[in-house]
Amino acid sequence: MTDAHADADFDSAPSVEAVSDLATRISENVERVIVGHHDAIEDIIVALFARGHLLLEDVPGVGKTMLARAIATSIEGSFERIQFTPDLLPSDVTGVNVFNQQTSEFEFREGPVFGNVVLGDEINRAPPKTQAALLEVMEELQVTVDGVTRRVPDPFTVIATQNDVEPDRTYDLPLAELDRFMKKIHLGYPNEAEETELLGRVSGHHPIESLEPVASAGDVRDARERILDVTVSEPVRRYVSRLAADTRARADLGVSPRGSIALVRAAQARAALDARDYVVPDDVQREVRSVWAHRIRTTDERAGRDVVERAIDTVAVE
Amino acid sequence: MTVAGESASADSAGSTNTVFGVPAGLLAAAASLVLIGAFLAVVYDITNVVGRRDQFVLLAAGTLALATVVGWTLRPRYALGLAVLIAGGGFAAYFLALPESQVALLSPERLLADTFALLSGLSALRLLSADVWALAVTPGPVFLAWYLAVRGRIAPAVAVAGGGLGLFVLTTDASGTLTLLGVGAGMAAVGLDGIDRFGSAGGQLDVLTVVLAAMVVLSATVTVLPGAGGSPVIADGGVAEQPTVEASLVSADDRISVVGSISLSPQVRFEVQSTSPDYWQTATFDRYTGDGWVRTGDTRDYEGGRLAGPEGPSRLVRQTVTPATPLDSMPAAWRPVAVSGDIENETLVTQQGNLRPDRAVEIGETYNVTSAVPQYTAASLRRTGTDYPDEIRERYLALPDSTSDRVRDRAAEIAGDAETPYDKAVAVEEWLEANKEYSLRVSRPDGDIAESFLFEMDAGYCTYYASTMVVLLRSEGVPARFVTGYTTGERVGGDRYVVRGLDSHAWVEVYFEDTGWVRFDPTPAGPRQDAESTTLSDARDEGQTGVDTNETNVESNETEQPTTTATDTETPTEDGNETNVTPAGGSPPGPSIDERLGVTPTGDGAVDDDEGGGLVPEMPSRETILVGLVGLLGVVAGVRRTRLPAHLRFATAAYQRRTDSPADDVFRAYDRLELALEREYRPRRPGETVRSYLDSLSRVGVDERTRQVGRLYERAKYGDGVTRADADEAVAAANAVVRARLPLVRRWTD
Repeated sequence: MTDAHADADFDSAPSVEAVSDLATRISENVERVIVGHHDAIEDIIVALFARGHLLLEDVPGVGKTMLARAIATSIEGSFERIQFTPDLLPSDVTGVNVFNQQTSEFEFREGPVFGNVVLGDEINRAPPKTQAALLEVMEELQVTVDGVTRRVPDPFTVIATQNDVEPDRTYDLPLAELDRFMKKIHLGYPNEAEETELLGRVSGHHPIESLEPVASAGDVRDARERILDVTVSEPVRRYVSRLAADTRARADLGVSPRGSIALVRAAQARAALDARDYVVPDDVQREVRSVWAHRIRTTDERAGRDVVERAIDTVAVE
Repeated sequence: MTVAGESASADSAGSTNTVFGVPAGLLAAAASLVLIGAFLAVVYDITNVVGRRDQFVLLAAGTLALATVVGWTLRPRYALGLAVLIAGGGFAAYFLALPESQVALLSPERLLADTFALLSGLSALRLLSADVWALAVTPGPVFLAWYLAVRGRIAPAVAVAGGGLGLFVLTTDASGTLTLLGVGAGMAAVGLDGIDRFGSAGGQLDVLTVVLAAMVVLSATVTVLPGAGGSPVIADGGVAEQPTVEASLVSADDRISVVGSISLSPQVRFEVQSTSPDYWQTATFDRYTGDGWVRTGDTRDYEGGRLAGPEGPSRLVRQTVTPATPLDSMPAAWRPVAVSGDIENETLVTQQGNLRPDRAVEIGETYNVTSAVPQYTAASLRRTGTDYPDEIRERYLALPDSTSDRVRDRAAEIAGDAETPYDKAVAVEEWLEANKEYSLRVSRPDGDIAESFLFEMDAGYCTYYASTMVVLLRSEGVPARFVTGYTTGERVGGDRYVVRGLDSHAWVEVYFEDTGWVRFDPTPAGPRQDAESTTLSDARDEGQTGVDTNETNVESNETEQPTTTATDTETPTEDGNETNVTPAGGSPPGPSIDERLGVTPTGDGAVDDDEGGGLVPEMPSRETILVGLVGLLGVVAGVRRTRLPAHLRFATAAYQRRTDSPADDVFRAYDRLELALEREYRPRRPGETVRSYLDSLSRVGVDERTRQVGRLYERAKYGDGVTRADADEAVAAANAVVRARLPLVRRWTD
């Protein structure tokens, strides 16, 4: 990413107001398709803008695929979907060299990981090796096959889902790999009014078919650059450190420095969404639950959220 | 308490509430232990007087240890059963230990009456076998209370231990200080338990402190209930008036506490017509407690006829007593054998052989007493042996376990050379008369009275002399007891004597085989009579009423002392110590009336030096300082409770001096604002951001201008800084908000 940073044209860098405006446009566009879930849409935009990936944990059928597609369409990006199964191979994810008999050359056939928005469905159903292939791409933003390295498109955001209803047929993600996801969120069921509205919208043509882009992938790249410049003052950095120390004191395994970095990034994006050029503790508090809860190891997952909540309550804000 | 688990798990999910860093539950248990300690201290004092002190200490320690172990292991149901078993076993042991003669008297009514008597102020020291009784009552409540405290059940624990202490409050065995300590500890235990359960939010600790301080200060300064007649409750700081010798000695009470300075009352009490002058005895005390005297055993009704006389030869003396004020005692020469008059049917006879009325004897309600006065000579007393009956031995040779060796050594030093009990008694009497000064102005010693009088005090009055003599004689194996009553009084012609309050006195009786009880008076007669006659003449000069009858205050009257007329037969005092007859109207040298009447409180020890030197100048009262400190603590907690510091802090927030740094100005402006909002709404929680704090308050009325200060604060703190104009805006907004809440300041600045 350092290359991209260096190439950025600072004169044409958008203002934070423009970033905020972009986020509003995307989220309003997505909401034409997705009923409710306003917060989840914002969370995805934050992850997208902060160069993060997102883990959705939900029951099937609550609109995860639709949400990812709507985001991709809104930014005029490509959308790819990988259905993880127990027999999926790493090359099924990254792509493979195939021999072209006409040209007598091997040519690379891109796997589904080459997309701006990649939906990894039921990631915990695939064997660890295949999971690792995806996670490596998420971290490196590149695919290496037979010694040749290819970059994935920019922007690149993975939205992975975990199936938690059939835990006996899954390979749980190790904590080290969970750590790669910037945020983990839940969609949950729509409420009565939302579901009624939802049914009204899909009774005819599904609105996703007619969804138009409201921004370009380039806009997202610019926004990402701008967000790197959002100020994180020392009191805020200290606040994050204290929150992290608090989780470490309360859990078997607290938040890693990687988690703290992710939180600062997310808070920067959140500040920009609020058209603010500096991070305030509120941004941190807004992001810390979804950024940290899955990184904390305790006896059960609920307790991970409790640890974060307790940290928010007790760590004094400067 | 953490070991209990029950209270800890009740709520607050495992988090322990602490007070000054110590778990509140632990402190509550500790306070319960202090309360139990107060209870044990009372019983300890009892056993110290009546014996079995060491057994008691072992028993108490064992009970506490057992309760601790059981508290950790046994469920309440079984533990309660165990407690009942322990308590029941204790009382069974008491009844088994009672002498057979007493067991024969046991009946349900009797038990009920005894219990009632105990609860209405009968000292446990007066019980027969009080030692066994003390051992019997100790384990039950101590076990149960400490068990409950260990289990974390503080409230019931306090109820049990407090009930135990309360019993001794009713029996008057618990001193004021111990009671206060116990009640304060119980109060603290319950309060801390509350903090343990519900946290100290809302200033619980402050309230607890204020309440405890109020308890200490009030009980130290305010006396709502007058002290019982025989045991004046005198604060050492000298708040109450000084008691009279009479009030401290002569009354129907079963107990005498020795007090500090004392005064003389010149009021005429009664007139007695007697065939022979004597000391008019009212009560006899057998049990020495270290700080006073207790009369043990019950009284029985006088049923007419003739009571037992002295063991040896005696002659009858008939007295007719005419009270001049209501009397709650029946003064008579030793040893009364018959009573007649209206009071006859309401006369009680104590186990020691004294008479006492069941009600007050009214003015003019004359009664006749016949006494069999022992007849003896020094020679006849010297001939008696030391083969005392067991009952005399047990009762009249007992001393507190705490009696120190130096007292015994001193007794041996004084009387060791004397061969017969009589010579020992005379030796002790003469030694006291020769070595101690007579003074009514003394400060009540802290420890054992006799020991203090022997080694630390140079002066004292009759109570000190008599107590010390009894202790010295008992430690030398001579049965002796403490007697109170009146001296002969002023002779008003023929065989009649006017007896005043100032004639009240304490002296000693020594038991001689084949003779019975013989009076010794170790108090130097001269100084005492001087003090008495000075008081009398001063009272006359001041025109007090009730000081004289028609026959007194005649120049020819003499304050006749029985010792001057009956030396050869009655009183073994051999020298002329008591022949010092002072004309009633004279003005003998002596301390001024103010000093003797004790107008100056004891605590103020500055003027004591002319009273025979040696008096240790009194501490300007440690107690006063202590009470003052406690009061101060209460005031501090109260001030915290009223949030006065917060008010003051807020008042200082009315103004703000601008600095060179706009950011600092904004910070200060925000702090002032938050102070104002804190007062009006609520403080900002630790994890709450400025933004969410102001947002939540905006729902209840914080205006846009205030929120703007919050935004400026954010910008100054986390963003790219603020300008001078921003800072001025913030300060102005803060000024408006703060001053709107300070009416006075607003008026000045508008």
